[in-house]
Amino acid sequence: MTDLSSGPRQTSEAILTVTDLTQRVDLGRDTLTILQGVSLEIKRGESVAIVGRSGSGKTTLLGLLAGLDTPTEGEVVLEGKAISRLSEDERAALRARRVGFVFQSFQLLPALTALENVMLPLELADFPDPQARARELLGRVGLGDRLTHTPRQLSGGEQQRVAIARAFACEPVILFADEPTGNLDNQTGQEIQELLMALNREQGTTLVMVTHDETLAARCQRRLTIEAGHLEAAREETA
Amino acid sequence: MSASQKLGSVKRDWRQRDVKVVLSALIIAVATVAIIALFASQLQRTLITSASSFLAADRQLEAEHGKPIPAEWREEARNRGLQTARMVEFSTMLSGGERFQLVSIKAVSDEYPLRGKIEFQQDADSDRQLLGQGPRPGEAWLNPRLVRLLEIDVGDTVEVGNLELTVSGLLVREPDGGFNLGGLAPRVMMHADDVDATGVIQEGSRVEYVNLFAGEEAALDGFYQWLQPRLEPSHEWESIRDGEALSESLQRAERFLLLGGSIAVLLASVAVAVASRQFAVGQRDTVALLKTLGLSSRRIGHMYLVRLSVWGLAGMAGGLLVALPVYGFLNNLMARVLEQEIPFTVDLPSLMPALATAVVSLFAFAYPPIRRLRHVPAMRVLRSQPGEADSRAWSDIAIAVVAIFGLVWLYAREVMLVVALIGGLVALLGTLALLGWLLLLALRRVTGGGNAWRLALVGLYRHRRASLSQIAVFAMTLMLASTLILVRSSLLADWQAQLPEQTPNHFLINIAPSTVDEVDAFWREQGQGLDTLYPMVRGRLTEINGQPVRQVVSKDDSVNALNRELNLTWMESLPEDNRIVAGDWFGSDQTEGVSVEAELAAELGVDVGDVLGFTIGSETIAEPITSIRTVQWESMKPNFYMAFPPGGALEGLPATWITSFYLPEDRKDALNEFTREFPTVSLLEVDHIIERIQAIVGQVTQAIEAILALILAASLVVMAAVVSATLQDRQREGALLRTLGGRQSLLVNSTMLEFGLAGLLAGILGVLAAESAVWALQYRMFGGEFRWHWQVALPIPLISGFVLALLGRWQLRPVLQVSPMLLLRRLE
Ligand SMILES: Nc1ncnc2c1ncn2[C@@H]1O[C@H](COP(=O)(O)OP(=O)(O)OP(=O)(O)O)[C@@H](O)[C@H]1O
Ligand SMILES: [Mg+2]
Repeated sequence: MTDLSSGPRQTSEAILTVTDLTQRVDLGRDTLTILQGVSLEIKRGESVAIVGRSGSGKTTLLGLLAGLDTPTEGEVVLEGKAISRLSEDERAALRARRVGFVFQSFQLLPALTALENVMLPLELADFPDPQARARELLGRVGLGDRLTHTPRQLSGGEQQRVAIARAFACEPVILFADEPTGNLDNQTGQEIQELLMALNREQGTTLVMVTHDETLAARCQRRLTIEAGHLEAAREETA
Repeated sequence: MSASQKLGSVKRDWRQRDVKVVLSALIIAVATVAIIALFASQLQRTLITSASSFLAADRQLEAEHGKPIPAEWREEARNRGLQTARMVEFSTMLSGGERFQLVSIKAVSDEYPLRGKIEFQQDADSDRQLLGQGPRPGEAWLNPRLVRLLEIDVGDTVEVGNLELTVSGLLVREPDGGFNLGGLAPRVMMHADDVDATGVIQEGSRVEYVNLFAGEEAALDGFYQWLQPRLEPSHEWESIRDGEALSESLQRAERFLLLGGSIAVLLASVAVAVASRQFAVGQRDTVALLKTLGLSSRRIGHMYLVRLSVWGLAGMAGGLLVALPVYGFLNNLMARVLEQEIPFTVDLPSLMPALATAVVSLFAFAYPPIRRLRHVPAMRVLRSQPGEADSRAWSDIAIAVVAIFGLVWLYAREVMLVVALIGGLVALLGTLALLGWLLLLALRRVTGGGNAWRLALVGLYRHRRASLSQIAVFAMTLMLASTLILVRSSLLADWQAQLPEQTPNHFLINIAPSTVDEVDAFWREQGQGLDTLYPMVRGRLTEINGQPVRQVVSKDDSVNALNRELNLTWMESLPEDNRIVAGDWFGSDQTEGVSVEAELAAELGVDVGDVLGFTIGSETIAEPITSIRTVQWESMKPNFYMAFPPGGALEGLPATWITSFYLPEDRKDALNEFTREFPTVSLLEVDHIIERIQAIVGQVTQAIEAILALILAASLVVMAAVVSATLQDRQREGALLRTLGGRQSLLVNSTMLEFGLAGLLAGILGVLAAESAVWALQYRMFGGEFRWHWQVALPIPLISGFVLALLGRWQLRPVLQVSPMLLLRRLE
């Protein structure tokens, strides 16, 4: 399962390749171009921050990278598979096994307990003994004693931890996070940040995250800046 | 807060989803109850009108062996806006051609009939016509058989007493065919103004004067109030509801409409309750926000009161806007089905229950939880504490339920109906609580997976609060709808059983003991076997336990049986359709005792052991009551109030025999042969009456089906409303499941299974509760015996499971159509 001993692995193999990605939405009278000719490549085990002003198209890009949506033009190849050529169910199967998400607004199911929320992707992926795995993960994010609480009974930071536990549950090869600390205070944001980085290290997961938080962006190996739907080719290596 | 600000907030409200749900529920509630109430009252009027043709009027006033009815009474009725007509009935000899024949004459005034039509033929070869007026003075219409019997033709003259009348047509059928074992000779109709000139009626002759009245129900009641103190014992005031053959059917139909209306009220309040409770609970955050903004609890409460009132008014207006066109459409449809004109009448009293239901359930379900929010500190409202349950919810629901049943009671005024429905609902909720608990125990261990079944079961368990309350609402809805379905099927079955094909449609009366065997042989030769032959002795009930009847039974209770001679009989075995309700039927050698019909026994206030004294001609007899039995008056078979054992008190008294048999339309010529061979036997043709009753029962059936269809439509709407109350949560869940990698087919299958299972469970519970409610209703309101209705009950859970699965699929639609990205954006 988790490989605590190994450090971040980075190979030169590309896990995600994007070519000439364009996304337009039809607004009845005219069409709005959200993304225009975006190309990029992300290597296995890499951590990448996507930054940009509000409304520049970050969330849209993340959704396309993760196969939650299909682009108007261009190609997204995730683990050697061209996402737009897959059927909806094939994309779903890919997400179930290989991809994790953390949303800015947590997206936990209000009727389910913390434990049940974390079990959900495990059950969908037919994981053996989902409950034990979910307990372990909640313990890992420091919520071992809040298993039966529903999201309403948890603070924002606690809810985000549940969401992170859920995202790492199926040991994804790539994790997408959309402003994971955006709704949290500095201190809590810091803790969530640590948690994400630690899990990234432990599981060797590739991390792609949208953030406004400079310290978080700075901790990533690479930074991509989006400006009005275009990718600025700025590239920074960090330790 | 200024008035404009309040309105502003109401306008903002309209954009909220919860508020839209509440408003739609209100509109549906008002519309459903209004449509059903309007339609039911219209149906009732139509049925009564159509059945009133049996009296040829709305009310009849009869004077038996009496003097003419005073003209001032008719004058008074006309002043009150009623229509009136006059009728004189008597038996006399009529001569025509070279023959004489005993006939029964009905002399009518110009206004006759006030309701229904006379069926008339110009001569034997012409078509039948429906006329609204009887013969003119100087003319007479004869029964076609009488014309053949006398061997005369239309245009010939006949003599009644001193008066010569021209036969100007054939009387095929009169609307008030009557079913009286007294006057049985062939019918002749003439004008009432000619009666005096015949000179037949003298002091003491057996003649019956009848006045007919028709008009508004209120005017009729008012007139009766005026008339009552003036009536003498020989007067009898009759409405169609008193008539034996039809009254039961009509009463049951009316009760069915009442039940339908009550169920509509309950369904509507369920819809409003679900929506407004959902709204109220969802207001936690808003209330907290208002509090943090510094609004006082009083003002918050006040604000919600104003909002609820505004929605209440909007819901009423919207509901009526929906209801009136639908009602108009149904009216048109009914007019076409019944082939008669039906005016578009909106009576305000029928609208009251609709409006009251909406307002009461809105406030009863929405206000208490909101009111309670005022006392909760803002912080606790923002985040509920672990383990905190809405403990006051039960008391809220109890208050609301009391309010709703108060409503139903106000609407139906029928304690038994309310008790049966409450009982059913309580049984239902009790069973559900138990079952829910067991189910949770069983489901706790199931964990989900890529398998739709497991995911569905897990879904049921994880949403147990929502699932159980949804199942409760579905089950209540289904119970109400099933109650109506079950009552409908047993009513229809009863009616079919009551007048099956080949119901005896002719009676033979006054058969002398010496000719009984010959009569029997005659009909056997014709291939038409006779039913059981009963002896008949006419006598009056004069004493109860040695006291004169008039003293024992107070005059106010007009016991019809006391006003006329009763038909007494003796019989060895209990007729098939009679049931003993007290005492025992006669033993094999028993010769003493009398068996009394149950309703008469109740009216007289007598029971087993009381001694009844009868006067028969110059003889008197007295016998103790040994049994009380119910009789199927609607069966069109000879029925008797009083039955004695063979060899009992009636032995040796002058008796004639009575029987009935079935004769098809095309064999009616046999009747002429029979009357020629047995001139002293009276023949009563009731085939036309039976046809009429069958036609009216057919109409009633259609009315019942229409109400049922409305209720089923309303139930579907309520279920859809309940499903849509959790729509957003479900869609969010669906979107998230897809994001997390759930296949579409898995999502579809598990959702349909989850809803299907909930529907199946709700269906089973609903049907069981309905059966228990029907058991109670059947017992008190609809008579008849309770039976299980497997063939009707079984499909209901299956259908409900299927419908809910489809509803589940339907609500999932948006989740499947768009990309998960867009869904998450929308739901954020
Ligand atoms: N389905 C859609 N219909 C219309 N407009 C859309 C749609 N999806 C995205 N947009 C628009 O595209 C632009 C980019 O949206 P996006 O959510 O990707 O921005 P973002 O960079 O994530 O912003 P933020 O930092 O505020 O989250 C925005 O202006 C948004 O309104
Ligand atoms: Mg964004």
